[in-house]
Amino acid sequence: MNVHDLNSARPQLPPKPRNPMPVWVAATLAMLWLIVWDLEISFETLAYGVEDMAEYFSRYRQPDFSDLSRYLELMGITLATALWGTVFALLVAFFLAPLAARNFAPNPLAYRIARETLNFMRAMPDLLLALIFVAALGLGPLPGALALGVHTTGFLGKFLAESLERVDKGVCEGVASTGADFPQMVMYAGWPSILREALGYVLYILDRNVRMASVLGLVGAGGIGLALHDTLRLFNYGQSAALILVILATILIIDYASAWLRGRLG
Amino acid sequence: MTTVSTWRWPTPNGLPPLPLVGGALALLAGLWLTAPVVEVDFVRLIGSLGKMAAFAGQMFVAPDWQYVPQLLDKMLETIEMTVLGTAIAVVLSLPMGILAARNATPHIVVYRLTRDMLSLMRALPELVWALVFVSAVGLGPLPGVMALAFVTVGFMGKFFAEAIEVVDPKAVEGVRAHGAGWLQVRLFAMLPQALPDFVGTVMYILDHNLRAAAILGLVGAGGIGYDLVMSMRLFQYERLLLIALSIYLVVTLLDRLSDQLRTRIIHGRRA
Amino acid sequence: MSTISIQSVSKCYQNGFEALKNVNTEIHSGSFTVVLGPSGAGKSTLLRLINGLETPTTGAVRIGGEAVEEHKLRHIRSRVAMVFQQFNLVDRLSVVTNVLTGRLAQRSWVGSVLYLFRGEDMAIAQRVLARVGLTDKAWSRADKLSGGQQQRVGIARALAQQPKVILADEPVASLDPVSSEEIMTLLREICDRDGITVVVNLHQVELAKRFADRVIGMNGGRVVFDGPPAELSQQTLRTIYQREGIEDDNSLDLALAYA
Ligand SMILES: Nc1ncnc2c1ncn2[C@@H]1O[C@H](COP(=O)(O)OP(=O)(O)OP(=O)(O)O)[C@@H](O)[C@H]1O
Ligand SMILES: [Mg+2]
Repeated sequence: MNVHDLNSARPQLPPKPRNPMPVWVAATLAMLWLIVWDLEISFETLAYGVEDMAEYFSRYRQPDFSDLSRYLELMGITLATALWGTVFALLVAFFLAPLAARNFAPNPLAYRIARETLNFMRAMPDLLLALIFVAALGLGPLPGALALGVHTTGFLGKFLAESLERVDKGVCEGVASTGADFPQMVMYAGWPSILREALGYVLYILDRNVRMASVLGLVGAGGIGLALHDTLRLFNYGQSAALILVILATILIIDYASAWLRGRLG
Repeated sequence: MTTVSTWRWPTPNGLPPLPLVGGALALLAGLWLTAPVVEVDFVRLIGSLGKMAAFAGQMFVAPDWQYVPQLLDKMLETIEMTVLGTAIAVVLSLPMGILAARNATPHIVVYRLTRDMLSLMRALPELVWALVFVSAVGLGPLPGVMALAFVTVGFMGKFFAEAIEVVDPKAVEGVRAHGAGWLQVRLFAMLPQALPDFVGTVMYILDHNLRAAAILGLVGAGGIGYDLVMSMRLFQYERLLLIALSIYLVVTLLDRLSDQLRTRIIHGRRA
Repeated sequence: MSTISIQSVSKCYQNGFEALKNVNTEIHSGSFTVVLGPSGAGKSTLLRLINGLETPTTGAVRIGGEAVEEHKLRHIRSRVAMVFQQFNLVDRLSVVTNVLTGRLAQRSWVGSVLYLFRGEDMAIAQRVLARVGLTDKAWSRADKLSGGQQQRVGIARALAQQPKVILADEPVASLDPVSSEEIMTLLREICDRDGITVVVNLHQVELAKRFADRVIGMNGGRVVFDGPPAELSQQTLRTIYQREGIEDDNSLDLALAYA
């Protein structure tokens, strides 16, 4: 470009930016007020409830650990359910993600199909899936594991596909230029490049599945959730408190363990 | 060629790396041991395929059009609960985020306490809290909104604290050098920098909360969930089909919307 | 035979930019050719067409009589190796594994997706690593190596393919002068000893003069010079490097004075 071109253009100030912030805030507040009105949330009930809340929560003050061994066993089932769900998701996503990554997909049709499959799996809430699988398979942890697996395949597959799409174009061309075919491209240019990210996602999914597995019992899919549901229904606050504490402790332990693992990998 | 070629892994001794083999074996052992617990039974799984197909077949009935007005009503309620719960959580998590950010907290003890509280809040899924809140304030959307807001504060407070922690310290010093007070530094130097990050996470959370809200009705905390369970228990497949479809539609729509918004935030105003 | 023949090739990118305009040339088996030209002349595009990383809009590229076409890419690429400016190694894999990717086209995916290689392939990898002088780095991760070493891994990967042709797109542009010298010497030696056809894109006229059998000068998507390096006079360099619409180019004179 010529130096003269730069100077010949008349200096033009950018248009003064308008600040739409107040309008947005007002609109949001109006909408929230409408929602409160439509949901018929009465602040009276809320105030009343909050007043009661202190009293209500004090009923949980004395956890009843007399049945602890059973709780731990239930928690074990819950953890196993989460593990199987996560492994299911990992296995399926391992095959679907490369097809759903634009730069690796062997053809546009496979790409579209894989993408839509993942979207569909993600859109179905896992509790809804659990309800369906319980209806088909009967009660027990297996339908729960399947539901977690199907739902989180959608998430894991999407995350991994997006990671794969960020793989350096040069690295892909480097491997492609040797004549590698689709499976070889995925194994040599794809997975090694995103290994650390992928492990982070898997840990995140495992973490999430443990949380969700602990409520699957509510729909008859086994585990500790069912016990919690029963004790809450029977207003057995001591046992409910103990169950909640067991779940909390497990989840915190997993939280710390996965943070530690991530730190070691990173 | 007739010679049998030897297979090798690209390692000095030609064998796969030990940590990898160990990890894989441990995982397999874990799966093996837990298989009976989860009642993984491939015979049963294959056997149930027929049932699953039959179930899917039953779903293809003429939809119950009479139910549509109620469906729309319940769907709207679900969306409203999502929005309200998320909005309350956004407001509450701003101060929590400041207290839980290492560089913004007034004291390290406050920092630790807030962090622990946040991780307790997000440890249990919405459904458990909904169960608790239903016993506390009664049936209806209110306990649902409370449960959503409660758990969301746990997530959003953490995200927000992390966004504040990576704020550029130079800008903060600049504002401080002009004599800004404690609160002013946080409001005018830290929040604006952390905000774009924050908007991205709000979209993720909205997405997540919509799915959660669709289920809360299961324990009587409002939304479409109650109808979902009832139609399933009563084998009203002509309703179930409509409900499942509408959940899928709304979730997919929001998903696309948030994808677009995120790319727009990340890549500026284009695209 | 591995003569590369480029027959009235034009390349129009998706945004409508015409990077190559009716290029016709033939590169003989076993020769060492250097392509010179200013940035944007279409040098990389030309090399990428030969390897099938881009497809020509019109015209055809043939290697030893075989057209470079979509359904034959695996076969073509197994004989036409590529070396990149940014090395393009897989960072997280070891040097040996990177070199072994050169063998992938010869092997079905069944074993290779499990990172299983045959003894023969391993022997080839060891041989080519010794040849580029990196035997002691064989088990390091690729991203732990210096730029010059990484480029030698890139060349080892190309050699492991046992190719007929090696295409090198500015292989020394990110390297210091000493490493550049080593890499060019290595490429020249590969050409002489193995009879592999080598085509190199360069920005260093001086390196071209010393290493090439033949120089192709490009400008604006056209071939503007073709001949032995001895014919590279100041006048021809002017035609190669001249910029559109600029008559008196001081930068050009200055740059060429030191070439
Ligand atoms: N994928 C693409 N899409 C659109 N235009 C492209 C693309 N790749 C290259 N071009 C354009 O084609 C022209 C030739 O590019 P090419 O990379 O072949 O040049 P080059 O001679 O290798 O330049 P350099 O010396 O800078 O590497 C350039 O103007 C470039 O902008
Ligand atoms: Mg180039």
